[in-house]
Amino acid sequence: MTFEHFSIGVGVALLLLMIPAMCRIVMGPTTMDRIVGANMVGTKTTVLLVIIGVIFGKVDMFIDFALTYALLNFTGAIAAARYLRHKGRRGIVLASTSEESVCERA
Amino acid sequence: MQKLFATIAVIITGAILLNAVEDFPRFGDPHSPPNSGVSGGSVSSSVHYLQNTYLDTRVPNVVTAVLADYRGYDTLFETAVILTAGIAVFAILRVVRRKDEEESTGSEEKACSGEFSTSDSDGEGRHRVVVGTACRVVVPLAQLFGFYIIAHGHPSPGGGFQGGVVLGTSFILLALAGGLGSALGRLREDMYLRLACLGVFIYAGIGLLSLFFRRNFLDYGALSGLLQTGGEEMARSHGIFGVELGVAMTVTSVMFALFANLSTRGELKGGL
Amino acid sequence: MVISFLSALLILAGLVFFLGAGVGILRFPDFFSRMHAAGKGDTLSTLLIIAGFALYQMRDLGDSEASVSAVLVALKMLVIIAFLYIASATSTSALAEAGWEDGNDPVIAPKHENRLAGPPESRTAAADLNRNSTHDSQP
Repeated sequence: MTFEHFSIGVGVALLLLMIPAMCRIVMGPTTMDRIVGANMVGTKTTVLLVIIGVIFGKVDMFIDFALTYALLNFTGAIAAARYLRHKGRRGIVLASTSEESVCERA
Repeated sequence: MQKLFATIAVIITGAILLNAVEDFPRFGDPHSPPNSGVSGGSVSSSVHYLQNTYLDTRVPNVVTAVLADYRGYDTLFETAVILTAGIAVFAILRVVRRKDEEESTGSEEKACSGEFSTSDSDGEGRHRVVVGTACRVVVPLAQLFGFYIIAHGHPSPGGGFQGGVVLGTSFILLALAGGLGSALGRLREDMYLRLACLGVFIYAGIGLLSLFFRRNFLDYGALSGLLQTGGEEMARSHGIFGVELGVAMTVTSVMFALFANLSTRGELKGGL
Repeated sequence: MVISFLSALLILAGLVFFLGAGVGILRFPDFFSRMHAAGKGDTLSTLLIIAGFALYQMRDLGDSEASVSAVLVALKMLVIIAFLYIASATSTSALAEAGWEDGNDPVIAPKHENRLAGPPESRTAAADLNRNSTHDSQP
């Protein structure tokens, strides 16, 4: 068994192990659960790109894709977190009450 | 009701697109355009480009050469499409207030929630510590990586579009880390609008420059005298690089403009 | 040969940790424990797998001119590892914070109080408490 065969096996195993995260994306009760699952799938896609590079023997090309994908995944996760934080229940409740109280005082 | 109309529109569009698939050449058809030869070339145009790209342009990456040289018109108007998207978002979303109006609304807000705004900014600062510290490390590396991708379009996959996306992402990350204000401090609105137009101008300008040397539009080989290169092939290589730079400028600034306008509903204040 | 074996060992260890993360994200009861499984298992397994492949790139280091590009590729993989080491932890932190403000409550044993949200009576009437405190402070 060469290392290429082993790499193909690792790639298939990664794809199969992504299924729980996919399940969490589909059935997650809140939006944040779905985003956590998507973030996990995105991180593993970085690894899959490296594995594809090893299988095709062009790691030097695919490593750039992997780095770019990791960067975009990170930015997407941060942006989703920021967006949902502003729409969140706790944040809005506290902000509206304190604003109201300050306005009353004024 | 709205969803029903949207569904009907999507189904009709999909049906039209599927109908167009009928006109495609069959898979492996020997008479399809990629498989039948170009005029004066070899048996197949794919093989022709694979064999002659390095001889014509001295660019090892065939994709870059085809994108920026053989199909230069296509890429020029793709860049123009991106600029148009940026202009459309600016025209539809951007809220421009007159100065007196802005002052009056600002003073009202301040009168109502003066103390709250300071406490809120404290809370924002506390929330941004982790992300801000990480982004202080990541953003310079991301910008360096973006320039690397732009410059390495010749030997490896990359080029203006991809590098522009990475550069634009670094500015978006800056906005997410320290607030939109700190990112706008680095790339002001007038600057990114000018940069977006300058990118298309550089692309079209390189094309027009070859027109002055009595050659076709976007025929970079004409620049060999101007660039002091040995032959026309190296001039094509340099021309492709210049074009990629223009594309990267447009893509970077339009990416950031889209984020800034969409995340703040055109106010360019506050936001995510 | 030894290096290939070592890298395969690293990659298999990464797969085991990823299996743990997958089970955790599917089976844990509330958002924060799922976040914990996803954040830790995912990061560690990614680092281990990429480290394994980076080690495999260095297998014929002593040979000849081909080793320069191999070292370059291995260095780039180390850059990816360093980037993910920072980015994954940061995004986990940001997502957990967003989930807290989104209103997810941790599942806790009965008889134990949720210390994150303060004592129960003040938590149910958080808005009232907030208003009362500001009213008290005013002259």
